[in-house]
Amino acid sequence: MDAIIQLIHVSKWHDRRAALSDVTFEIEKGEFVLLMGASGAGKSTLLRMLIAEEQPDEGQIFVHGKNVTKLRPSEIPYLRRKVGAVFQDFRLLPKKSVFDNVALPLIVQGASEKDIRRKVTEALRAVDVDHKNDQLPSSLSTGEQQRVCIARSIVNGPVVLLADEPTGNLDPERTREIMELFKLINARGTTVVVATHDPHVLKDVNRRVITLVQGVLLAEHRVGEGVGG
Amino acid sequence: MRRLFYLVREAWVNMRTNRTTTIVAILTTAFALACVGIFLLLYVNLRNAAGSLQEDVKVMVYLEDRLPSEQVRELERTLKTDRMVDGVLFISKAQALGEFRVQFPSESHLLEGLGENPLPASFVVTLAPSFRSPDAMKAWVERVQTMEGVAKVDYNQEWSSLLAGLIGYIELAAIGVGILLSAAAVTIIGNTTRLALLARQEEIEILRLIGATRTFIRIPYFLEGAVLGACGSALSLGILKFAVELFRQQIQLTGRFSGIEGMISFFPLSVCLALVMAGMGLGFAGSVVSLLRVGDGRA
Repeated sequence: MDAIIQLIHVSKWHDRRAALSDVTFEIEKGEFVLLMGASGAGKSTLLRMLIAEEQPDEGQIFVHGKNVTKLRPSEIPYLRRKVGAVFQDFRLLPKKSVFDNVALPLIVQGASEKDIRRKVTEALRAVDVDHKNDQLPSSLSTGEQQRVCIARSIVNGPVVLLADEPTGNLDPERTREIMELFKLINARGTTVVVATHDPHVLKDVNRRVITLVQGVLLAEHRVGEGVGG
Repeated sequence: MRRLFYLVREAWVNMRTNRTTTIVAILTTAFALACVGIFLLLYVNLRNAAGSLQEDVKVMVYLEDRLPSEQVRELERTLKTDRMVDGVLFISKAQALGEFRVQFPSESHLLEGLGENPLPASFVVTLAPSFRSPDAMKAWVERVQTMEGVAKVDYNQEWSSLLAGLIGYIELAAIGVGILLSAAAVTIIGNTTRLALLARQEEIEILRLIGATRTFIRIPYFLEGAVLGACGSALSLGILKFAVELFRQQIQLTGRFSGIEGMISFFPLSVCLALVMAGMGLGFAGSVVSLLRVGDGRA
């Protein structure tokens, strides 16, 4: 299988404290990976580096064949169009409707009106909030808001989906639903990387787990019966 | 299409969200540009006045007494073939006397006692429009004064020089005030853009994360700056037009300087459009400065 994400001896310091220390691993195309670790373990730093929000102090990072550490600023938006991102705080635009929020990545890319309508409808249907098209995010429940955020991250068909603590604000039932959604997205061929400190999400996910402790890659193992997409 | 619509709508939303700041920015920009406009109007009107005065400027070339008619004709030929000369009219001694009597009938008896007509023959010379500047006129007069048979050359030099000097000062003032107040307009609009940017940091962050390019993020702010500049400029023109009309009306009402109101002109439409475009440019520059100072993150 091809590696879609590759970290080679990556280190990063925040105020002389190592956020990541000599981390090396690969994620294959179509894999579902859980990035586990307590708060401050370096999960978010690692995800931010994958979308060139931060640069490592040492090492190299490859995403979809591109050396992220050597991208010019003008190339970064094009990397981010291939990597969808889901956040704990959803980061939806409060004054835009659900439809407009999800349409944003397509508008940014200059998609046609027809494509936008079709793809947004498909994405909203996939996360089961297509009936809330015209509503503002504030009128939705937290679970629904996270679904809208996921719809936005998959609407332009990214090759990788990164989720940073996507269930951090959700109750166990919503958490299970969201994880199911990620599994479905993964089943369609998208590589999914979910960063979480919540060991309970493991119960429902039969996938590869990478554990970080204080910036150091502690363990890599597989849980559940299935491996790969 | 949708992208264009989105960008325009974002600019509009920016302005509507920060309504008070937007209105204040337009008003202060309009005030600053109106101050520049006052100097421009003064400059334009004085130039027009100078133009019409210079059209009337005639140079009198007085001839020596008892100049042979051969030499008079030779002098006339020389003047007529001069590339700086537009027209030459010969006034004989007798014609000069006749004109004097017509113009000053009560003083005509003064000449009676002198016996011989004391008035000299002359040429009334109209210079070509491109040589009516004070410097060109002075040079021409100096040259003609040395010609044989010419007694004296006279023209309204003081008026012409005074007006040219005044126009020069107003031109300088217009440039100085223009630069100063344009910089003020750029700063005002820049600050408005900065406020909008700070208010929408979170949205900008989201746009960056979903792959928006710098240009895409910046366009609404550039548009906003350009619209603010154009509105400010248009409003300043409105204020100036109103002031000019009020001034004309006041002159008519008071009866002082009557006739001058017809000479006061406003900018032609093409200049008005150019000024609105200039305002747009200043607004755009304000946004650019602001975006460069605040920045919108890496990529």
